[in-house]
Amino acid sequence: MSNAFQFKQSGHLDPALLGPATVSRAEKLIGRWLNTNPDTQGIAECEIQRDGNHFSIKISGVGVDGPIVWPIARSKALANLEEEAGQRTIALAAVFEFGFMKSEIYIRVNKGVLVIVLFNTFQDESGRSNYLNREFFYRA
Amino acid sequence: MQFAQLSDRVENAEANGVITDLQALPGVWINSNPNTNGIARMVMSESGGQLSLQVFAVGPDGLIDWGSTEVKVFAGLPTSRVAAGFTCIYDFGFAETELQGMIMKGLLVLAQFHRFKDNSKRADYFVREYFALEHGRY
Repeated sequence: MSNAFQFKQSGHLDPALLGPATVSRAEKLIGRWLNTNPDTQGIAECEIQRDGNHFSIKISGVGVDGPIVWPIARSKALANLEEEAGQRTIALAAVFEFGFMKSEIYIRVNKGVLVIVLFNTFQDESGRSNYLNREFFYRA
Repeated sequence: MQFAQLSDRVENAEANGVITDLQALPGVWINSNPNTNGIARMVMSESGGQLSLQVFAVGPDGLIDWGSTEVKVFAGLPTSRVAAGFTCIYDFGFAETELQGMIMKGLLVLAQFHRFKDNSKRADYFVREYFALEHGRY
């Protein structure tokens, strides 16, 4: 890749960033995913659908009397540069806004397992600490 | 108390939501991959209860200092006051890089989200790398 491009790390100049879109690998994300932990207190399931160049992410949290359906978030797929050990995936990043709380998440598939990492920020002055969590899902 | 999942709920939120135990994060974090094309090392510093991060990334002619930025700290639970991770954003003008770090078994797992804003047609991309805390003990 030309060094005429601005960069802040060599990865910004990786020729793969100008290569064919990684959207084909994005198909691995599409579908309905269930938490591997039946006793989770967090996300029960996640459904990802493709909408052109975007993806819609529908999440249901575990509630007291049944699932809590989160507002649907839209996201664009992020390419994944080669990681160590030849691991290569794609990822989605999205923000869920609840008013009292904001959840910034990223989703990736690793060896058939969907991984969701959440960074939750409380906006309601309830005294709760902002917290992070990571959960694993299998394809339904 | 509102919640979107049971894990958001807290019986008694007596504190003010401030994460006071930051000791897991400050120090020099070294990338476990010596051949990385991304971030080589990070220096996390604490001052007055606020953490800041300085990133050094691999460039064609040596390390590139991204400068310092404040980080937002996260605990492992809404009841915890112990730091377990952080987020921060670097805006370079031509691109924006968001970092999300979490401590796992002593390692810092860093997710990096690079989004280009310069119409260079480069794809936005994601990288996840592992960093170890330099301890100088061995």
